[in-house]
Amino acid sequence: MAGLLVLLTILAPWGGAASVLLAGDQRHKTQQIAAVLCSVIAAFAALLLLAFTVTTPSVEYAIGGVFGTFTFIPDGLGTFLAAVATTIGSLTVIFSLDYMHGEHQLGRYYALVLLFIGAMCGLVLSGNLLLLFIFWEMTALCSYALISFHNDDPKAVAGGIKALVITQIGGVGLLVGILAAYTQLGTLDINMLIANAGSLPADALTITAFGFLIAAAAKSAQVPFHTWLPGAMEAPTPVSALIHAATMVNAGVYLLARFYPAFAAVPGWTSAVLIVGMISALFGALMALSTHDLKRALAYSTISQLGFMVYAIGAGGIFASQFHLLNHAVFKALLFLGAGAVIHTMGTRDMRRMGGLSRAMPFVRNVFVIGGLALAGVPFFNGFWSKELILEAGLETAVWSFVVMLITAGLTALYTLRMIWLVFFGEAHAAFPAHDAPNFMRIALGMLAIGVLGIWLLAGAFGHLLESTLPYHESVLHVDSTADMISALIAAPATWLTLAVIGVGFALWVLRERLTAFTNSLAPLMRAAAADFGFEWLNRRIVIAAQSAAVNLRKTQTGQLNWNIVGIVTGLVAVLLVLMVGR
Amino acid sequence: MTETLLLIGILALFGVGLYGMMILHNFIKLVIALQILTKTAVLAFVIAGEMNGQIQLGQSLALTVIVADTMVAVVGLALAVQVRRHFGTLDIRALSTLKR
Amino acid sequence: MEFLPLLIGSVAFAVFAVRAVRLLHAALWLAGVSILISLMLYRLGAWEIAIIELSVGAGLVTVLFVFAIAVIGDEAVSVRSLTPKSLAAALTAAVLILLCLFLFPLPVEENPTVQVETTFAVSFWQDRVLDALLQVMLIFAGVLGVMGLLDDPKPRVAASSAAQAENTAPHDEESIADSHLEEERV
Repeated sequence: MAGLLVLLTILAPWGGAASVLLAGDQRHKTQQIAAVLCSVIAAFAALLLLAFTVTTPSVEYAIGGVFGTFTFIPDGLGTFLAAVATTIGSLTVIFSLDYMHGEHQLGRYYALVLLFIGAMCGLVLSGNLLLLFIFWEMTALCSYALISFHNDDPKAVAGGIKALVITQIGGVGLLVGILAAYTQLGTLDINMLIANAGSLPADALTITAFGFLIAAAAKSAQVPFHTWLPGAMEAPTPVSALIHAATMVNAGVYLLARFYPAFAAVPGWTSAVLIVGMISALFGALMALSTHDLKRALAYSTISQLGFMVYAIGAGGIFASQFHLLNHAVFKALLFLGAGAVIHTMGTRDMRRMGGLSRAMPFVRNVFVIGGLALAGVPFFNGFWSKELILEAGLETAVWSFVVMLITAGLTALYTLRMIWLVFFGEAHAAFPAHDAPNFMRIALGMLAIGVLGIWLLAGAFGHLLESTLPYHESVLHVDSTADMISALIAAPATWLTLAVIGVGFALWVLRERLTAFTNSLAPLMRAAAADFGFEWLNRRIVIAAQSAAVNLRKTQTGQLNWNIVGIVTGLVAVLLVLMVGR
Repeated sequence: MTETLLLIGILALFGVGLYGMMILHNFIKLVIALQILTKTAVLAFVIAGEMNGQIQLGQSLALTVIVADTMVAVVGLALAVQVRRHFGTLDIRALSTLKR
Repeated sequence: MEFLPLLIGSVAFAVFAVRAVRLLHAALWLAGVSILISLMLYRLGAWEIAIIELSVGAGLVTVLFVFAIAVIGDEAVSVRSLTPKSLAAALTAAVLILLCLFLFPLPVEENPTVQVETTFAVSFWQDRVLDALLQVMLIFAGVLGVMGLLDDPKPRVAASSAAQAENTAPHDEESIADSHLEEERV
């Protein structure tokens, strides 16, 4: 049964992708029905799979001696991420029915989204490193193709290429890590790696651990690889919601969480993870505060929130990070889709040209505020609980980092309120065709809003799911029931401290008129944040250097095949000579 | 003795293919030279399997090479046809347009 | 010694194929090389590979060559080459000499460790499944290639939509690919 569901989760979206493409762009209705049907089937399969989680492979394909066996293991961690990917994926597809209405080449759009959903499920369910790598690259490819979906827009194309190049750096890190492990271990089985990590030579394990960290940082848009995520906002908004907020960017966090038991003992690894997460959280929050582009603000906030998750893993709070991942996926998808509804109506992403939308779009305002409060960490919305758990894990590990994260939590409240205020309240800056979201959008938004309000009640069950199916994580997953979690958090002084800081964050925005001296003193910091803290400049320098090197190398290219072959043969001679010397 | 002879023959075939790849400038003839090279590889895999005692492994790899080789020929010929249609000639000198 | 005529013949055919002035002749000499190589494979005991090489290498590929040449016409080839022939010869010689140094003298092994042998089919389908998958993908790429071969030059937009809509061409080639697969299973 579990095997069947695993296959259904992965293959139903792929089947949908194929049928959408085969239907052709002339048959809109068929395409839409196929896309919605297949994504919903996958979502139900994945949710049903939650009841069948196991620790052993439920699907196995022997592929010969060299690469071991391709396995799929629906354990708690993988299944829950697959459920997130397919559920939010299907809601995104439903949302797209309205959002993408009237666009050209919708077949390409739906096919890529469905391909992505399947690949994401494969990524989290696979039990073989080679398979993991293949799915990892597939998601990167889908992300690239969807960012550049409007391929007549140079900004979209540039953003797509940037995302592809930077995530490929992560891909290389992953591949190097896998190979380092494979040469020592002789198997590509993930659980074998986790179980035998202690017996690996220290240098090989270090290469693997930091290779995986680079991969995770590039995929999850962590400093210093975060610059691709704002550029990825050229994608259609549902794609941003699905890939760049709720699922693909979580793959890095997933990778770190999955291999935490293997790498925790590597010297410096946990502190590296902790620091990467902390800096990303802080920088992301500052940058979110400095931008005027609604989607970019959300993207920076995603960087910041992913930073929280990575930080939690560094601090050893695997459950906290995964719980925040779940909550973040829901509320950030809600925020993105809400922003999509706004952008759809307004035709602009600039928050300075919005304002006063509250009366025109009450439904969108309501759900957006719900998502925003969860993001800010206000009690009884889902983001609150997981953020508290993360901060608590941080407090136990390193107090100095806890202080930084506390400030970040305050900044989060500040930029969230700023965003909501600029979009929905304040004075209107543009005449706009006032209409609320259409029906399909409402379905998707409403279901996500319910999720934001209620999903944290499942914390205990979720923890139990993880704990019971992840034998190697036992020591780092200590989970009580939801009620215990709530009472523990209420009893903890850190919680009240955080709430106070969040309150200060809100107050800063409310009192911004009276605090001009304070804001002015922060102006240089804001300018640095607006300039991406120099990372964008660094990126550009690297690109320019690579391009000038390419221009110089161009002189060696005659463009004639025979000379190319002469070059290849010369290379062969050189290789043979080197081997000769080495003999 | 037989093995030495076969290996020398393989090297000779390999040399012919390599030399052809370097001097020919007709697209289709290039594909033909490439075919000679890869057929040599097929033979070499089988012989190496015999010599190592891993006969089946050598043959499996040879089969893969044959398939790859055939597909390379197919794609190469398709390219040749398109080159001919676009440039009116099979001469690879016409292909250096990126340089211009 | 039984291989000597086959080897000399195949090298000679290869030289003829490279030197041939007309493309059709070159393709036919190549088929000759392929036939001789498949004979050698047969003598070496690799019967399955020999049959596949004969049917695919000598048969299908030659048909494709002849077809392509028929489509685009036989073009007379000028002899002047782009790269100096002496350079090409020197590089080839260098590679061959180096390879010879690596290969010879052959290690003396009276009894090479022969594995417990299964049949070729078992070995292929069990130990090299990934190869089989790879081959399927390659064949798929080849099918796309043949679609390119048959594609008529049209305005770019029309051509791409035609490639999507064209059902007859891929069907033919798929059946070729299928029969090809059949041959592999022999």
